[in-house]
Amino acid sequence: MSLNDRLKELRASGIDDAKRAEHLKDLNDLRVKLLGKKGPITQALRGMKDVPKEERPEIGTLANNVKKDIQEAIENRIQEVNQRIIAQKLQEETLDVTLPAQSHKIGTKHILNQTIEDIEQFFIGLGYEVAPGYEVEEDHYNFERLNIPKDHPARDMQDTFYITNELLMRTQTSAQEGRDMDAHDFSKGPLKMISPGIVYRRDDDDATHSHQFHQLEGLVVDKNISMADLKGTLEALCRHVFGPDREIRFRPSFFPFTEPSVEVDVSCFNCGGEGCRICKYTGWIEVLGAGLTHPNVLKMSGIDPQQYSAFAFGLGPERFAMLKYGIDDIRDFYTNDVRFLEQFKGVN
Amino acid sequence: MKISMDWLKEYLPVDHSVEEIANKVSLTGIESAPVKLGTDLSKLVVGHITSIKPHPDSDHLNLCQVDIGQSKEVQIVCGAPNVANDQYVIVALDGADLPAGKKIKKGEIRGQVSNGMICGLDELGVKESLVPTAYQKGIYVFPAAETPGQDAKELLGLNDEMVDLDITPNRADTLGMRGAAWEIGATYDEKPQFTDPKLDETKVKAVDDVKIQIKADDLVTDYLVRTVSGVKVSESPLWMQRRLWNQGIQPVNNIVDAANYVMIEYGEPVEVYDLDKLDDKSVTVEMATDASKLVLDDKITKDLNQNDLVINSGNVTLGLAGVIHGQNAQVTSKTTNVLIESAVYDGTSVRKAAQRHDLRGDASNRFEKGVDNGAVEISLNRVVELIDEITDLDSYSQVLVGKETPAKPTIIKASIEHINRLMGITLTDQEMIKILDRLGFTTAENGDQLTVTIPSRRWDMTIEADLIEEIMRIYGYENLKGTLPSGNETNGGYTPQREFINKLKSVLLSEGMDETITFGLVSKKEATDFNTVESEYTRVLHPMTEDHEYLRTSLIPGLIKTIAYNKARKTSDISIFEQGRIFDREEVNDRPKEVEYIAGALSGDLGADTWNTNAKKADFYDMKAIVEELLEFLNVEATFEFTPTDKIEHLHPGQTAIITADEKTVGFVGKLHPEYQAKSSVDDTYVFELNVYSLLALTKKNVKAQSAPKYPSVSRDLAILVDKQIASGQIVKDIFNNGGEYLKDVNIFDVYQGSNIEIGHKSLGYHLIFQNPNDTLTDDTVEKAFTQIKDSLIDQFDVEVR
Repeated sequence: MSLNDRLKELRASGIDDAKRAEHLKDLNDLRVKLLGKKGPITQALRGMKDVPKEERPEIGTLANNVKKDIQEAIENRIQEVNQRIIAQKLQEETLDVTLPAQSHKIGTKHILNQTIEDIEQFFIGLGYEVAPGYEVEEDHYNFERLNIPKDHPARDMQDTFYITNELLMRTQTSAQEGRDMDAHDFSKGPLKMISPGIVYRRDDDDATHSHQFHQLEGLVVDKNISMADLKGTLEALCRHVFGPDREIRFRPSFFPFTEPSVEVDVSCFNCGGEGCRICKYTGWIEVLGAGLTHPNVLKMSGIDPQQYSAFAFGLGPERFAMLKYGIDDIRDFYTNDVRFLEQFKGVN
Repeated sequence: MKISMDWLKEYLPVDHSVEEIANKVSLTGIESAPVKLGTDLSKLVVGHITSIKPHPDSDHLNLCQVDIGQSKEVQIVCGAPNVANDQYVIVALDGADLPAGKKIKKGEIRGQVSNGMICGLDELGVKESLVPTAYQKGIYVFPAAETPGQDAKELLGLNDEMVDLDITPNRADTLGMRGAAWEIGATYDEKPQFTDPKLDETKVKAVDDVKIQIKADDLVTDYLVRTVSGVKVSESPLWMQRRLWNQGIQPVNNIVDAANYVMIEYGEPVEVYDLDKLDDKSVTVEMATDASKLVLDDKITKDLNQNDLVINSGNVTLGLAGVIHGQNAQVTSKTTNVLIESAVYDGTSVRKAAQRHDLRGDASNRFEKGVDNGAVEISLNRVVELIDEITDLDSYSQVLVGKETPAKPTIIKASIEHINRLMGITLTDQEMIKILDRLGFTTAENGDQLTVTIPSRRWDMTIEADLIEEIMRIYGYENLKGTLPSGNETNGGYTPQREFINKLKSVLLSEGMDETITFGLVSKKEATDFNTVESEYTRVLHPMTEDHEYLRTSLIPGLIKTIAYNKARKTSDISIFEQGRIFDREEVNDRPKEVEYIAGALSGDLGADTWNTNAKKADFYDMKAIVEELLEFLNVEATFEFTPTDKIEHLHPGQTAIITADEKTVGFVGKLHPEYQAKSSVDDTYVFELNVYSLLALTKKNVKAQSAPKYPSVSRDLAILVDKQIASGQIVKDIFNNGGEYLKDVNIFDVYQGSNIEIGHKSLGYHLIFQNPNDTLTDDTVEKAFTQIKDSLIDQFDVEVR
């Protein structure tokens, strides 16, 4: 057999062996066996000395091609085997992805705090400071500074938890207004603040009353603050909280510390104003009270009501949350049944 | 107050539906609701009983022949005790509808045909307390002849439509029909028309023997009296009765009813007394004594005191001024001469008296909110006119003045520019003047300035802001276009304290704890149980219940209560926290400090048994891990230490640690004492509490970035045998003290006591990591440090290195 034929035969059988190999190890062995220094090709080339000199380059090229072809066949086969191995591994590793995962529970923020923080974020965006207040407050700030003089019906002993004659559990976050106006340096610009917190009233706890609840007060004092500014601000708030299509309306009302005073209704977010159970078929839901700060209140903080004006509003986070999520018992906020709490995971 | 459309039409030409009016008035002035009476009533007519005889088979039923305006009389069986011949009565015909879906059917009663039912007012839905006493236990009898067959529903006012005004305290001017007519008129741009009372001057007879004394001058603004002679006390005419019961007032007799009627008309409470029963025809308005008593009726007598303003006659107390008239000198069927009193009392005094004696009513409601002192005399005259009209008086006195304060109109000056600026609108002077005119205010204009004269009926108006509100509401809030404040920019945001709290809360949420909110007012027990701050207790003066009597001194009791609440509802695996204030009071102060705290509790299992995991019972170290992560997040310089303590009551003496930051106490972590746990109805529960302010005060770490280490670390394991009493914390501290500058970390990987370990000892295994950030550590350096560590432990704690 000529060397030429020998090489061709080696090529045929090598490629054949590679194609038949089933395991990576066999293929590696094959490579070493066929292409290694002691392999048959190297052996065969020892016969080169018998080949006429002019044919030698051709044989050399052939030998290289044979090596290359075998190499290629082995590589191809390795790839095939690898793919088969991966496919098999994938098959074996297949899981039931519908089985539940191991949970790493994250806690749920209380729905009242979620509601409050949502409103806070809205006002922070408008440049409002979030002011803390005192839960135990002086009669002076809770009432007198809000134009609620002694003997005013709104400060009856029966509505307020007094601690001494002059100290009480604050009944409204409005108590913070006087403190913040006193502390503010108006030469540095307007006062824009909200003050959320806990307030207390002497009520028996039932589905609609709680002796402890939350309020969020808002106050803006500047030159040229108008009722229109109040309306625009509350309109934006209600759209933020209750949806972009909401309208608001003002109805005249009375609070000792604002004049004019208004109740604010928002168009029903459930029926869009058509009338439904939630809005008691009026299309509107009362959500908060507001007004222009009474001149007496400004004067008591040394602010000239001819030069400055102010608006204030107060809202109830409980009421907001109850409306928004259809909660029908205010006590649910304070009994903290975790099943109640956890349903609000991530709502705000 | 409910404004009857039928009545209102006497003053105003309104023909809108009550729904429309209520809606419009709500938007421009006063929250209102429409009320429609009698929508559930039908087929009620006047019947005239023309004969009556007992039912043959009954001892209490009667057979009445009743003229119901048809060609033939009908027979109706009636069981009312007060039925009698020749009465004009209410007949519910066959097929009539009565309240609550009741239907009247023709039928037989014990064998006798009955063509309907003769009704009492209560059967038509009038509250029993509003039915005249004589007709409460039977049928209603019309006070005068009416046409048989006539619609009884209309005659009784039971088809009336009303607008119910839910007034705010400043709008008591609408607690009378006239004030309400002004308000509704302004809404519709209609001026109400009123007729003032006209008395027959020929009947006026000067009286000089009635003695009026006002001894409490500061509490009485006005006190006017007239006496009338020759009254004939009887039932009031139907038109008056029906208006009263529709107002929620029980008709009594024509004299009392006339006074009540005028109260509704003018908003001005008026009182009537039997003149002949007064001691020496005298009335004195003065303070009661602590011995005074007010007899209300045969059953109820009120003990008065020196804070009560009363109307006395001689030694007898007639009534509590502005609140109630007692039994003495009441107008009865025998009365012939009456003293009529129209007065204005101090609102606060009336309110407090009404509260004190639990006697709030129509009169006190008006006085406490304020009445128009310009209507005192006109109201008085109106009562006289009504009584004269009804009973044809012989004579009446001139107005007798106990005290009189002239009613003055209020003058308010306002700037057109200021009004527009404050509202954000652009009304012209003429538009404003027109609105004010609708309200019955007169305006003079001088350049930008309006001078507005306001009648005394609107005593709520005092300053420019009040005027602005009137203009705006009548102009209509719906015409106000929203804007945002246009002043200088401001920096919004939280206080640093609040930012810090938000961060703490976010860590606990990430640790899987649900946030709770519990009450700040707690029971005495709850205020006492975890008073680790050793606060004086702060109590509210008038608690509603013992459960909410003291200000809390710790957040822990609220958390435990929450766990118990959940456990009772079959949720026992709980991980919760609360961030809130505790109230820490020093003895010398009334006012407690309000200190922000954060506290958490773990109870039951962590995780759950699932197809690939097992639940794990929460333990002390789970709670501690959360606390440590929280402290880690503070990013502060301080070193935190957990020191065992058995000093916190209600916590487990062997599973509790005080947490210190550089030796200053910031809180604690521990397990509830088994006894306390059992009493609180909770399972094994672990708690922590931290003072937020103490944590906030710690110096922040100044973080400077460092590259990750370039040189490998070297580790050594250390196993020791040590006395059981020695805390691992002590060992670790000692290891660090002796480990040299390259000791980076010490982790405990094994704690063991039991077989093969000497009794009273434990085996501890530590993994020590050494690292030099600037060079490769040599074995020699590490070995030296390791030896020093071991030597110290042997020396300090007598450990055996294994």
